[in-house]
Amino acid sequence: MLEGAELYFNADHGYLEGLVRGCKAGLLTQRDYINLVQCETLEDLKIHLQTTDYGNFLANQTNPLTVSIIDTEMRKKLCREFEYFRNHSLEPLSTFFTYMTCSYMIDNVILLMNGALQKKSVKEILVKCHPLGRFTEMEAVNIAETPSDLFNAILVETPLAPFFQDCMSENTLDELNIEILRNKLYKSYIEAFYKFCKNHGDVTAEIMCPILEFEADRRAFIITLNSFGTELSKEDRETLYPTCGKLYPEGLHLLAQAEDFEQMKRVADYGVYKPLFEAVGDGSGGKTLEDVFYEHEVQMNVLAFNRQFHYGVFYAYTKLKEQEIRNVVWIAECISQRHRTKINSYIPIL
Amino acid sequence: MGSMFRSEEVALVQLFLPTAAAYACVSQLGELGLVEFRDLNASVSAFQRRFVVDVRRCEELEKTFTFLQEEVRQAGLTLPLPEGALPAPLPRDLLRIQEETDRLAQELRDVRGNRQALRAQLHQLQLHSAVLGQGHGPSLAASHTDGPLERTPLLQSSGGPHQDLRVNFVAGAVEPHKAAALERLLWRACHGFLIASFRDAEQQLEGPVTGEPATWVTFLISYWGEQIGQKIRKITDCFHCHVFPFVEQEEARRAALQQLQQQSQELREVLGETEHFLSQVLGRVQRLLPPWQVQIRKMKAVYLALNQCSVSTTHKCLIAEAWCATRDLPTLQQALQGSSSEAGVSAVVHRIPCRDMPPTLIRTNRFTASFQGIVDAYGVGRYQEVNPAPYTIITFPFLFAVMFGDVGHGLLMFLFALAMVLAENRPAVKTARNEIWRTFFEGRYLLLLMGLFSVYTGFIYNECFSCATAVFPSGWSVAAMANQSGWSDAFLAQQPLLSLDPNVTGVFLGPYPFGIDPVWSLAVNHLSFLNSFKMKMSVILGVTHMTFGVVLGVFNHMHFGQWHRLLLETLPELVFLLGLFGYLVFLVAYKWLRVTAASAASAPSILIHFINMFLFSSSPTNRPLFSGQEVVQPTLVVLALAMVPVLLLGTPLFLHREHRRCHSRRRQQPDKDTAGLLDLPDTSLASQGSDEEKAGCPGDQAEAEFVVSEVFMHQAIHTIEFCLGCISNTASYLRLWALSLAHAQLSQVLWAMVMRAGLSLGGEMGVAAVVLVPVFAAFAVMTVAILLVMEGLSAFLHALRLHWVEFQNKFYSGTGYKLSPFTFAVEGE
Repeated sequence: MLEGAELYFNADHGYLEGLVRGCKAGLLTQRDYINLVQCETLEDLKIHLQTTDYGNFLANQTNPLTVSIIDTEMRKKLCREFEYFRNHSLEPLSTFFTYMTCSYMIDNVILLMNGALQKKSVKEILVKCHPLGRFTEMEAVNIAETPSDLFNAILVETPLAPFFQDCMSENTLDELNIEILRNKLYKSYIEAFYKFCKNHGDVTAEIMCPILEFEADRRAFIITLNSFGTELSKEDRETLYPTCGKLYPEGLHLLAQAEDFEQMKRVADYGVYKPLFEAVGDGSGGKTLEDVFYEHEVQMNVLAFNRQFHYGVFYAYTKLKEQEIRNVVWIAECISQRHRTKINSYIPIL
Repeated sequence: MGSMFRSEEVALVQLFLPTAAAYACVSQLGELGLVEFRDLNASVSAFQRRFVVDVRRCEELEKTFTFLQEEVRQAGLTLPLPEGALPAPLPRDLLRIQEETDRLAQELRDVRGNRQALRAQLHQLQLHSAVLGQGHGPSLAASHTDGPLERTPLLQSSGGPHQDLRVNFVAGAVEPHKAAALERLLWRACHGFLIASFRDAEQQLEGPVTGEPATWVTFLISYWGEQIGQKIRKITDCFHCHVFPFVEQEEARRAALQQLQQQSQELREVLGETEHFLSQVLGRVQRLLPPWQVQIRKMKAVYLALNQCSVSTTHKCLIAEAWCATRDLPTLQQALQGSSSEAGVSAVVHRIPCRDMPPTLIRTNRFTASFQGIVDAYGVGRYQEVNPAPYTIITFPFLFAVMFGDVGHGLLMFLFALAMVLAENRPAVKTARNEIWRTFFEGRYLLLLMGLFSVYTGFIYNECFSCATAVFPSGWSVAAMANQSGWSDAFLAQQPLLSLDPNVTGVFLGPYPFGIDPVWSLAVNHLSFLNSFKMKMSVILGVTHMTFGVVLGVFNHMHFGQWHRLLLETLPELVFLLGLFGYLVFLVAYKWLRVTAASAASAPSILIHFINMFLFSSSPTNRPLFSGQEVVQPTLVVLALAMVPVLLLGTPLFLHREHRRCHSRRRQQPDKDTAGLLDLPDTSLASQGSDEEKAGCPGDQAEAEFVVSEVFMHQAIHTIEFCLGCISNTASYLRLWALSLAHAQLSQVLWAMVMRAGLSLGGEMGVAAVVLVPVFAAFAVMTVAILLVMEGLSAFLHALRLHWVEFQNKFYSGTGYKLSPFTFAVEGE
């Protein structure tokens, strides 16, 4: 990228940036959450959402309202916005958007393969797929029996193809292998995305790199946490860690050796993640590690809006919106199950 | 009309609506549009209010209505506008409407679902026949081109180990944009085991959902091996292909094709029936929907209004607070009694005292509306403040006309406005949606007066499309001048300019009866004569206008009982304004009247006199205008300057003293104070709208708000603004001169450069006539575009400014808010 990208950033991407900032201003505020939490039924929730930017997005629902309907409709709305951004984007922003969708595509592919393994019908699983990660060949995923099959037949044309280099094998796809495949895919995806942002330089790199570094490290932690007590060997585990995070290389090495949560916590001790682990509550009360990570992510994404002339706002907006959807779904779930004690543990977007 | 001078008296009333009759009462109020409800539940969120369930039901219904409306729109029909009086439906009618709507919606959904299913079926059949119709083509072609490939396994099958292995077919159709991807995927997933042929269908088919025609792609896949077959089936599933059974024998295929065609024929008939039924249902919707929509909208409005009421402790009635014009109170009472008589208990209205400033209500008719609009655009007047609109009716068009003075242009504008006024009741004009047209139409009476006044000032300036008209004989005689001074032919040939001397007898016979003498249009010094005249006229008009504004302030002070302001503000202001600029006007008028043509040579200069007045000096070359001038002028300046400290300090000191006196009195009589508070409601009711500066003891709330420094500050700003404003505003009125000059010059240029040039062109009759057509066209277009529209807009803008800034800041605060009554009437009707 040439110097002084600020000068002509607006010529290509100014409209979209303005749009995304406008959309960001439409995120639910603290006040909205307070009102949402007070709702008695899902109908109340709907009425309240009508006063926000969501408008009457549920107006055409004739069936009684359920949490999943709300979830789907909110996702659809996000998807519409995203599609609009994407359709109006120019290079290299459109590549950036493609990278953004890749993570959802990976999730969808894995979801479908898992479904095929459990002999569920494709339609049933399609509903659960994230709309942002849809692609035409997706439904044919279940004809593949090995990862190379999958690559050769189906994914070779999709943006996911480059990430497959590391995971070509003739192993049959059982549950563990699928999980390993997912993590390998994700690893090469996030590294590629990181490289893209780094090469792009400028403010985009300054904003996106820390976000992706955090994302990589979070995955490393989560993989470690989930691999405790499974048959995954430590060496294999280490190959799954994305190497673009702040933990690379020593931290990842230590993490690979960790055997329980305490050891994992010790790894984080010397780095930037110490305050996060300290915020985790123990046992019953307090936040879970996942929540703490989400909070940190939200904070980083909100901060991304403080700078101008970069692509990070699009990423940040999508992530914030997703968090908002998770929050509303959480609140709706609590309302519909009359489980009000935990209703306040959504993650506020400030 | 009397109510135009200040806004009507508005009272806060409390309505006790018996629960049973509340709905009827509020719906009646909505029909009348008399009251503005105050929200008594501001702290309660929207979904915790009392009638939220009913509101939600109305919303549900509206949702169904939207569905029905959308259906009607999709069918390419329009909904007629509802006619007749449609009262808000009774709650029990709601059930009926709801039932019928639901039934209608259900019916529509069913029929549409049916139609959809039939269409999909038909689509399927058509695709099938397309596939079959084309099926033999590709397979034949394939056998020719790919002959060796296909034949090899076939030959083997006769005697080889794969005896039971035979070629199978999958035939189907796929959406065109997916065809390429499908083909690629098939090839990648199982290449070598199949032969696929794709081709476009011969005719376009309408999609069952969207109805858009599309050319589907049919394909025929021949493969061998059962596993491959499964894979292919999965892949075709994933692309949502329509797969059809494909028989190998050509005769069987033909038979199937015929059968399909027969089936689709039958299906078409059924579809036709369904369409017919659908149109019947839509017709019913068209008839029923519009009145329902209006009724339910009214019902929702009523419930939203009821949501603003609070519930009495006994739950027997709802209590509403509302603003209502005092004049309408009896009507309100009557309406409430009428609509609550059924319930047995009558609704009660009574006035309650209130410290808030009531809203402003000024009733307008179609004539005054546009003038009131001009005032309201600046700011809605405070409650019971003097309303500048009635004066604006005359002054606005007049000041406009001063800048736009031309008989011809004025007449055109007048005729345009007159046409609009005469056609105002025609529905086509009324319902026009063009925004620019609406703007003109709303201001048609304004335009009418503006045109009329322009004709008048045009006569004064003696200009009609920049040409002077000689209605009366001119007061100047060139013949007399020529005879008296004995101009010879040689003298006349030498001199390009000749001057008429009014002192020569017979040359000047007397002033022209009305306006400017037409002889001036021949004179070279026409412009300098007009400039002098227009400049003085501007100053005179300006000072008069501003003085009028200050005088209007008197009515404000009198109405609000602030007598001290009369003495401490209006009087100093008047003295300041009249002492300085009023005197200037006097000088102008005096000079016009007293200096005759005979003494013109030695006439004193007003400008020098006025400058000397401020310098307290006199110049020896400038003769005094009248005796005693040396005494009058310094006196006026001193008087005017002496008024500044009075204006600056008078009101604050007075208020401060009042405040202290009040304070000490209260300390002496603490008991009486509570009584005073109890009495207070009556006094505040009698003169609501008085601010904290109101004389006397206006309760402890105002007491607490009294801060000396703030009052001083306010008054200082006001004083500075007024004193400097007098000078700058007077100068500002000179825009009258500037714009009228610009208008006159522009129209003269247009006349001279276009029309006169055209007229002087061409010696022969025929040529001139032909040339004049385009010349006149250009003249006409430019007259309308530049002189009428552009100049008109600019003069309008300046007249607006003179009213808003120079006139209204003398007395008008414009900090009120409008009474917006709860009414069912649709905006813009």
